[in-house]
Amino acid sequence: MNNTAEFIEVIQQNESLIYKVTKVYTNTKEDAQDLYQEIVYQLCKSFGSFRGDAKISTWMYRIALNTAIAHLNKQKKRLPQTPVSDWLAENIVAPDAPVDERSETLFALVKQLNDIEKGIVLLYLEGKTYAEIALITGFTVTNVGTRLDRIKQKIRSQINLKK
Amino acid sequence: MKTMWGEMSAEMDKQKKLTTQLITKMTQANYRGKVNNILMPETAGALVSFASFVYIALNFEKLNSLHLFICGIVAAAIMLVLPLLSLRAVFKMRSVNIGSNNFKQAIQQYAAGKKQFVFVQKLTFYLGALLLVAILPVMSKIMGNVDAFKTNSLWLMYAVMFIFFLFFAKWVYRSYAKSVNDAENLLKELSEES
Repeated sequence: MNNTAEFIEVIQQNESLIYKVTKVYTNTKEDAQDLYQEIVYQLCKSFGSFRGDAKISTWMYRIALNTAIAHLNKQKKRLPQTPVSDWLAENIVAPDAPVDERSETLFALVKQLNDIEKGIVLLYLEGKTYAEIALITGFTVTNVGTRLDRIKQKIRSQINLKK
Repeated sequence: MKTMWGEMSAEMDKQKKLTTQLITKMTQANYRGKVNNILMPETAGALVSFASFVYIALNFEKLNSLHLFICGIVAAAIMLVLPLLSLRAVFKMRSVNIGSNNFKQAIQQYAAGKKQFVFVQKLTFYLGALLLVAILPVMSKIMGNVDAFKTNSLWLMYAVMFIFFLFFAKWVYRSYAKSVNDAENLLKELSEES
């Protein structure tokens, strides 16, 4: 599985996956562009070694998340982060709000978490099972469950804080 | 939240934007950027340091007093060691194995590399301050044939430099302490098993 046309098709089919990882792990547009490009580059580099013994999306998440972690070193000086509660206060959305607006709220909730939690919750929201999350992250299935419980509590308390 | 995320994902999937050309371009442009990114700042710094080291070494016989001799040795040693330490730390920090690691291993490598990088940055700051102290009389002697230790201006410069050093040392300590703390917290959290 290593020809260019096939790689391009895989990227096109999963471009939102790359976008979401990028969005969660960066704070500026410039960093987001750098990371997006870096993920595509790393996927391209590893594509030849993908043997198909896991789902293509599982492989892509692993490469994309690892790239995001490696990219943390290269980020430009971060902009001061707005506490998520303040952000929610300004951006809290009604149920019928446009998807764009709501998606910003979702990303803001995820971005308040630490770098480990961001990866785990992203995979969970993307519909991955605990076993798949464990496979991608290297944590045990039980540990994934424990961490997710903690993350859910954290997010819940942020939302309640706003209410 | 999961339902909203699903809706958002479905909406995103409808908005395909990447063309074949764009994807190809991204991989190529990235390769060039990557090479420059690694080579430029650290290598330029290392070359300048090495050139200065060679310059001092070639003019070492001009350092004809014990004070100047010691300063010359200190300055040359720092200029040799500093870029090597810095390059090593940068490469180590960037050596996260993306292709074969899992997420946990990637974070472990990142956090460990970050801790070492911050340590080297702190060391670089202190060695840099020492270098400044040592290199002033050395360069003054080599370039102008003046023994700065016999003038009052050197001590005045040292006094001014010391005030700046105190100010920056405080700032360096504060800014690096947070980075080390973040990296340590990540490592601590990784070691937690349920």
